[in-house]
Amino acid sequence: MAKYQKIDDYRYLIPKSYRTGMLTEGLIYANEDLMRQIEKDLTFDQVANVATLPGLVGRSLAMPDAHQGYGFAIGGVAAADLETGVVSAGGVGFDINCGVRLLASPLLVEEVRPKLDALLNQLFRDIPCGTGRSGLVELNSAELDRVLNDGVRWSVESGYGTPSDLEHIEENGCLKNADASLVSRRAKERGKKQLGTLGSGNHFLEVQRVAEIFDEEVAKAFGLFMDKIVVLIHTGSRGLGHQVCTDYLEVMQEGMRRYGISIVDRQLACVPIRSREGQDYLKAMAAAANYAFTNRQLITHWTRKAFERVLGRGELQLVYDVAHNIAKVEEHKVSGTTRKVLVHRKGATRAFPRMRPEIPKDYFEVGQPVLIPGSMGTCSYVLVGTEKAMEETFGSTCHGAGRAKSRHAAKKEISAEQLVKDLKNRGILVKGASKSGLTEENPNAYKDVSQVVDVVHNAGISKKVAKLIPLGVIKG
Amino acid sequence: MAYSILEHPADLGIEARGNTLREAFEEAAVGLTSVIVDLDNVGVMIDRILTVEARDVESLLVRWLSELLYLYDGEGFLCKEVHIQQFSPARMEAKVRGEWYAEGKHHTKLDVKAITYHQLEIKEDPSGGSVRVYLDI
Repeated sequence: MAKYQKIDDYRYLIPKSYRTGMLTEGLIYANEDLMRQIEKDLTFDQVANVATLPGLVGRSLAMPDAHQGYGFAIGGVAAADLETGVVSAGGVGFDINCGVRLLASPLLVEEVRPKLDALLNQLFRDIPCGTGRSGLVELNSAELDRVLNDGVRWSVESGYGTPSDLEHIEENGCLKNADASLVSRRAKERGKKQLGTLGSGNHFLEVQRVAEIFDEEVAKAFGLFMDKIVVLIHTGSRGLGHQVCTDYLEVMQEGMRRYGISIVDRQLACVPIRSREGQDYLKAMAAAANYAFTNRQLITHWTRKAFERVLGRGELQLVYDVAHNIAKVEEHKVSGTTRKVLVHRKGATRAFPRMRPEIPKDYFEVGQPVLIPGSMGTCSYVLVGTEKAMEETFGSTCHGAGRAKSRHAAKKEISAEQLVKDLKNRGILVKGASKSGLTEENPNAYKDVSQVVDVVHNAGISKKVAKLIPLGVIKG
Repeated sequence: MAYSILEHPADLGIEARGNTLREAFEEAAVGLTSVIVDLDNVGVMIDRILTVEARDVESLLVRWLSELLYLYDGEGFLCKEVHIQQFSPARMEAKVRGEWYAEGKHHTKLDVKAITYHQLEIKEDPSGGSVRVYLDI
């Protein structure tokens, strides 16, 4: 029997018969080509495994950029009932609130291109990136606690941003249930020197131009215009978030015994949302999420300074900042009734439509901006949330290109020198902290982001607004 | 070398072998450091004693490597040599030797986010011990 059923050109159903213990169905958003790629790894099994968790509401979902992860597939979305459901640290992942932020400059491509090299050098100098680098701010424990509890508000009060920045960040840059006292000393040790660092892996900062507009009205509301320069920042909660996840995976493994929960993969460790362990995790996760929002805020500050210094124009408007690894309590309509559920997004982005109270007033009439970073040096997209996403995916969509090849395979394909040269021929300058970091992240290692975005657009769970093409890349 | 690096679509793993499970745990620790940094430049100036406890041997392995990852990412300690002095599935005590990380001196390779339980495998029979563990990068 086929392991999945094609519902339409963009939706594939994994029936409960796929494996024993599935309490709900799985649903993968993809086209045929992406399905062939998704089939190659453990994504199907992981979507089915998530469907065995108790108290899930609706289906176990996977977005078109899905690939094998740990416990949950990357690109997974699962909503849990607040009374009978569970929270899983693996359902958020190690990089809590890994996410993306977009800044819009008033400058046109031709104003920036002549000074691009100087701008990239300045950014590379001012923003710590790569492995083993400390941040420029070292926080004492009281300050770190403020970052964890208050998020970006701390940065604004400390001179790293403006009050208007807060309006354009998911949750206004602060998950209010955060509690720094539930974050371990170890997590704080890992985090105190890393605030305001890009990190390595797939994290990057790109100077891009708006290359195509698909929806004039929405693009205008977002402040995006043809050939204007924008900056995309992709990073997360660094060692602090990784340690919070590590700590609570252990707490949850112990908790499962107490609550009599059995799971099919240890990496799916979970506890009832209403349990003390569940609530503690959500508060610690919120603190790590606030750290990540603040991390992107500090990088924004130094980006503005670099633009000011090199181009004389530092007024970069924050378009939006979205989390793509997070769990949040949200109101959704389930079988005709509106109720609160806990939505896990593991490599997936919130994509709320217009008129939702969570959306900033500037975008209230058009919908929430959704930022989709492509692989290094390819292209990125700005989408907008839709009503259809509320009906089908708990207001969620894809988060990026999604990896297709291993680091080793990627590295074998091309040398760092050749990669830099190829990108230069296409008008893209690259500054990388390490050669291996560059080759491991070579664009061929990823799925085609345009295909991923076309699937979510055609499926209706978000709509294309603008396409962004890089001029310069800063890579960890 | 009794450890090797395994491929994974997004990340990588370590497979370590030894005459006993204890040795495989020692090798896995050195394997972890080799993922983070070029081992050749790491000296052995400092000794530390580490104790790790867990409910089962799988958890012991994850906690052991998580301990070493924390020592690097939280305290800046790079571990090059490992001697496990006491070993049972629920508790181990190890003497580790290494030095403090210094920007410029040490050539870092990858940031390891965490140690996972994904496809974790621990085997021991009369011919020896082996472990397989995947890292989130």
